[in-house]
Amino acid sequence: MNEAVIILEQVRLPMLGTPHRLAVDVRMGAGQFVALVGPSRSGKSLIVELAAGLVSPEAGRVIVLGHEWTADVSDAPNPVRLRLGTVLQQPGLLSNMTLFNNVVLPLQYHRESMSERDREHLVMAQLERLSLAPMRDRFPAELNQGEARRGAIARALMLDPEVLLLDDPVAGLDAEMVLMLKAYVEERQAEQALTVIAALRSYSPFIEKADRLILLRDGRVEADGPRAALTEVVAPTLREYLG
Amino acid sequence: MGEVTRHTLLRDGGFSQRMIEWVGRNTIAGYTYLAALATLAFQSFLDVVQPNRQGRRESLQVLVRQILFTGVDALPVTTVIALLVGIIIITQAGTQLPKLGAGGMVGSIIVVTVIRELGPLLTAFIVVGRSGTAIATELGNMSVTREVVALRLMGIPISRFIIMPRMVGMVMSMICLTLYFDVVAVLGGYLVAKAQLTIPFYAFLEGVMKALASSDVVLTVVKGLLFGSAVAAICCHHGLAVRSSFTEVPQQTTRAMINSFVLCLLIDVLVTVPLYL
Repeated sequence: MNEAVIILEQVRLPMLGTPHRLAVDVRMGAGQFVALVGPSRSGKSLIVELAAGLVSPEAGRVIVLGHEWTADVSDAPNPVRLRLGTVLQQPGLLSNMTLFNNVVLPLQYHRESMSERDREHLVMAQLERLSLAPMRDRFPAELNQGEARRGAIARALMLDPEVLLLDDPVAGLDAEMVLMLKAYVEERQAEQALTVIAALRSYSPFIEKADRLILLRDGRVEADGPRAALTEVVAPTLREYLG
Repeated sequence: MGEVTRHTLLRDGGFSQRMIEWVGRNTIAGYTYLAALATLAFQSFLDVVQPNRQGRRESLQVLVRQILFTGVDALPVTTVIALLVGIIIITQAGTQLPKLGAGGMVGSIIVVTVIRELGPLLTAFIVVGRSGTAIATELGNMSVTREVVALRLMGIPISRFIIMPRMVGMVMSMICLTLYFDVVAVLGGYLVAKAQLTIPFYAFLEGVMKALASSDVVLTVVKGLLFGSAVAAICCHHGLAVRSSFTEVPQQTTRAMINSFVLCLLIDVLVTVPLYL
């Protein structure tokens, strides 16, 4: 495996709303595309939130890009955060800003030396690749779920992060958009060393190119490996997640 | 039997013990709440004065919008309320005091009631009702839709991007609106109530100016500063206290409004009593 960019070492954490506890011990290598799949309340989103630094483990360690990560509730600038791009289940586009202003915001805040023209060029290039250019002046309330999600992914990638964390990225996307998003993520991985961790609640063509699948159930890893290899070893109830 | 009752009371805690616990718990909660508000206000102050210019432009845009909404858009309602209050006070003072042979006191009454007290307080109530509730609702909705988390994930400090511009905008608007309220209430109220008054305008104005000390103007500004900081801190605190449900938003907004009214009155007492008693 390549150098691990995300390490969840003997992590233990109660899962709200279920009697189960998350109990995982996984390492995710640089440049990998790792898909976390499994039924609802299996711990996928919690792993994404642990990696994003939104929650702290009760026991164990979370190491992201070489830094031990604890839930960062303070406002203090954290350089590790800028090396991560995160899109949660709710896209979190700022409702009082247009799509363009939402996507350009990280550049305005963290790349102040960049000219307005360069920023606009960069943002519009990404919006066009995600078929969002015509919606640039729309507010989030005027976008459908899929458009808002793609907008949030574009925003998460504006600072060229080393790791992209996606929680249910294909929710609300039609089949065509899923394939487009898959192609977009593949292109971005080809352009830069980007590690992608995506949590998915059901099979989607989006995971076909995944280097590795981690199948979760009740907070535990049921199976871990390449998709082709897993098809033969997992329980029939979990095969539907592999496609 | 009596022994059993005494043992049960000791074990479960009697009324007085529960009362002491209740008082202790609420005292600690009150101090914690005030400490949280002070932290928000202090963090905003640090964000204003610290030399790091990162994100200043974006914060400035939010600040301008806040001043427009809290200050400029509130001018019509402030004008109406100030005029009505001015008419009431000036009519009462201008008609009743001369009957008592204290016609010369009209200016003092105006200064004491309108400029020192009613101006700052009523302006604070207008701002709480219009902008404070709007801030609490907006931030509450942002919390539920995870926009606040999204900002943190982008490495954008919410103290600088969300709280500081609202705090500064509200303080600046509160100070300007309070001064505007005082002027409209005194002059406008006089002009409207002129029909009933026997006091000439210049005599009225002279009486007001004689009674008005520079400390009154300074106090008005100080009150605007304190009320603005308190209202902004309370409304931001309650807005950001919303966790996961839209039903929490109106609950927190109501708390923000009531607590703002109470804290403004408390600040007014704390400022006024030592100065004038």
